[in-house]
Amino acid sequence: MNAIPRGPLVWLALAALTLVLWLTGGPLATYPDAWIASPAAAMNAGMDAFTDAAGAGFRAVGSVLEWPVDGAQALLGLLPWSVTTAVFVLLGYYGSGWRLAVFVALAMLYMAGIGYWDESMNSLAIVLISVPMAVAIGFALGVLGFYSARARRVIMPVLDVLQTIPAFAYLLPILILFGFGTTVGLVASILYAFPPMVRNTILGLRAVPEEIIEAGTISGATAAQLFWKVRFPAARAQLLLGVNQTTMAALSMVIIASIIGGTNDIGWEVLSAMRKADFGVSLLTGFVLALIAMALDRITHGFATRPRAIEWEGRSPWAVAAAVVGGVAMLSLLIPALRDWPEALVWDPAPAMNAALERVIVEGRAWIDGIKNSAFFYVMLPIKIGLAKAVSPFTWGFALTPALIAGYAALVLGLAALAWRSGRTTLAALIPLWGVVSYIGLTQTPWLALVGIVVHTAYVTGGRRLALGAAAGMAFLLLAGIWPEAVLSLYLCGIAVLICFVLGTALGVWASESRTVSAILRPVMDTLQTMPVFVILIPFLMFFKIGEFTALLAIIAYAIVPAIRYTEHGLRNLPASVLEAAETMGCTRWQLLTRVKLPLALPAIMLGLNQTILYGIGMLVIAALVGTTGLGQQIYIGLGNGDFGVGMTAGIGMAIIAMIADRMTQAVSRKRQERFGMRMAGM
Amino acid sequence: MPSRLKTTALAALFSATTLTAALADGPIRIAVNEWTGQHLSAHIAGTMLEKMGMEVEYVTAGAVPQIAALSDGSLHFNPEIWTNNSGDIFPKAVESGDIEVVGSLGLSPQEGWYYPPYMAEKCPGLPSYEALYDCAQAFAAADTFPDGRLITYPADWGTRSKVLVERIGVPFQPVAGGSEGAMVAELKSAIAAEQPMLMMFWEPHWIHADIDLDIVEWDRSSADCDADESQKRGDACGFSQANILKVVSSDFADEYPEAYAFIQNYTLDNTIQNALIQKVDQDGMEVEEAVAEWIADNEAVWSMWME
Repeated sequence: MNAIPRGPLVWLALAALTLVLWLTGGPLATYPDAWIASPAAAMNAGMDAFTDAAGAGFRAVGSVLEWPVDGAQALLGLLPWSVTTAVFVLLGYYGSGWRLAVFVALAMLYMAGIGYWDESMNSLAIVLISVPMAVAIGFALGVLGFYSARARRVIMPVLDVLQTIPAFAYLLPILILFGFGTTVGLVASILYAFPPMVRNTILGLRAVPEEIIEAGTISGATAAQLFWKVRFPAARAQLLLGVNQTTMAALSMVIIASIIGGTNDIGWEVLSAMRKADFGVSLLTGFVLALIAMALDRITHGFATRPRAIEWEGRSPWAVAAAVVGGVAMLSLLIPALRDWPEALVWDPAPAMNAALERVIVEGRAWIDGIKNSAFFYVMLPIKIGLAKAVSPFTWGFALTPALIAGYAALVLGLAALAWRSGRTTLAALIPLWGVVSYIGLTQTPWLALVGIVVHTAYVTGGRRLALGAAAGMAFLLLAGIWPEAVLSLYLCGIAVLICFVLGTALGVWASESRTVSAILRPVMDTLQTMPVFVILIPFLMFFKIGEFTALLAIIAYAIVPAIRYTEHGLRNLPASVLEAAETMGCTRWQLLTRVKLPLALPAIMLGLNQTILYGIGMLVIAALVGTTGLGQQIYIGLGNGDFGVGMTAGIGMAIIAMIADRMTQAVSRKRQERFGMRMAGM
Repeated sequence: MPSRLKTTALAALFSATTLTAALADGPIRIAVNEWTGQHLSAHIAGTMLEKMGMEVEYVTAGAVPQIAALSDGSLHFNPEIWTNNSGDIFPKAVESGDIEVVGSLGLSPQEGWYYPPYMAEKCPGLPSYEALYDCAQAFAAADTFPDGRLITYPADWGTRSKVLVERIGVPFQPVAGGSEGAMVAELKSAIAAEQPMLMMFWEPHWIHADIDLDIVEWDRSSADCDADESQKRGDACGFSQANILKVVSSDFADEYPEAYAFIQNYTLDNTIQNALIQKVDQDGMEVEEAVAEWIADNEAVWSMWME
């Protein structure tokens, strides 16, 4: 306690640097334009050269890839709705039983009933082709990454890039390379959907307990047997989570790819409704995507977990299925209503939904504005432009007088002194830094100071290598001239991720402790993840208007799902033996949760945080649709102008932010784990 | 193994060539964009081409991607391309000869700052832009107060409103609209609650069939107003107006000479399109139905395109 260690001193120095640079200004505070060397033009030239050289090959691949999709679309388009429904209902029944069969039947009736059968089938066709491909690629890469550390070092950053460079940024290169058509949607959805499969495969295979492997080795299993008969089944729960996430991701991509066009699918309908801000139609059509996702997810889940042999009163299930489908097909030949859904039976509640939304807006105006303004004035604005500018008579009701500023400084210093006296030197040094940055605001913080803060945080959490990586990444942001946009993105995403993590983990814990909560949350999460986020944007927009608050809500709605899901999954899939041991030792439920379950589930929870960050950054692009400024907007400018370089630069910028944040959380998680590990060993 | 690879590669190449060959003799592929007006322009043209005995296929396509598709021949024709929402890729494609502009469709678009009629009560000097200087507060929102709030086009459509605000020094804060959907949602929501609203918008657009909007008027009009840096209070021209063009792929004239001749003659005006938009978006008629009805009633108009 006598000598102040070096770490805290650096924080204090950074606080001083921030304040001094902010007060003096100059090129070290605001990055000068003259120092910018954007790679966008070079990227465009490179892309042109690449297209000239390899374009023909990609086009050939593209037209081959078009076949399965076109085939599936033709088949599903040709079949009467009743036959397709019968096939999927049977799949649901064999997969998991009559409850799923009823769900599938209702889902299919819904698609026909709202009059979007053909469009739904076109989307289903893309997904039916892309999900197996994405799962296969993801699984193969995951196995590779599991066995080879070198492969993993290459795969992991690539995954980060694919998941964080927003899909919008790579739609354009895919379009340029593969040509216009359904292929664009297929390739985009495979690229976007396979990373979760890789992650879950590696995680699942790694988590297989050594005892099981040893048992396998002792009983003389070959390497292949050891993998397929031992590791693979033991990792099944995690693999299925991967399939689930892949299916959801593929579906969410279907709509984004619709921006390109080429197929008259449900995504196109959602986008058209979006352009018209037609809440009713966009919700109705968006829900179709969610239903497809849920049905596919439950069916695959059912087939993967059911007992091997199925028999139906002694007869082969195939014969029964063939008989049922054949029967329905015959009937549909006789009854035209079973072939094409009759127009008279189309149900269109969209106008009523729009009217209801309008009434809520008109009548709830006062409290809607209240929520928005308080969040904006007291939370978002201070973080963005600092207390120095955010506090004004118009926003907070009083002006920031010199006396108040002195009071603020005294408060910050007082808190720091308090922390120092109780022996927490690091905290004592962090408080002044936090005080200075809150006063100045994230967007006003001098770039050099912000770089210093991030690099030092990286050093403290992850060591020299992470610090170097962070410095290199930030150098790119500065040189590429996207620093101001990056800081704006950081601000919006940071708030969203923080809220998501706190709220999401809490919900996940609750869901793991209560079956009812879990059962309620699951369809809600599926809907949030697969219902195109555009759809949620419309009511949010109508309530809260164009601007950052609406964007924040949209990001939260999407990015909270992995935080909930991974927490619940981690808590529910702990080794039973450990829990039993803890229970026999007399742990209360609370002790069991906080002392045993949470520490053990930490890797899964951290993977959830990791995914929350990646999802949040991914959503920035969609958030730009409601009028935010930041990297997301740059991507649209790139896409809107057909400028590959601009979009890609912004995309890489997002990937950099995501990766720095990701590596930091991973490093913190590792340290925590080690600490808990030690504590448990000494228990 | 290598021989099998070769076979696969050959098969791939073959399929690619057959596909392009099939496209050349196949139907005329007409782009269908996301808005009703374009659906109508496309279907009127398509129906007429079918009348002439040609086969037509409608393909959904985004405003920017369709330029790439027209350039490589996967799409053949779009009767209604707005020069202001097709990005830089459009002029580049025209310049390189990948696509051909057949002329303008005849629709006259109007762009500018629109407001709902109730705003004229709160700001009596409207529609003159001069009124905006005095009653900016009537247009203010919490985050722009005391300046007025002006919703502009999304950032990727350019920054013309922001530039104009700076040039003429009107006390408004431009807020980028994000996307067309966001702008329409904002309009609908503001009008439902009679809230302040000033927005950069355009016509023809289906929303004008749905709600009343008035446009701010300037001192004069000028064809290249956007480039006019001399604009100031007392001498403002607002905005240059966009062009709406008929565009075909580069080989189209050779491959479908009859269709090309028709497209050269094909024109529509705001009155025709607005009336049809009204039928589709307000009265819930299908696009095909509305087009068929119009064609049945207006032989005098379309017979001129067939000469």
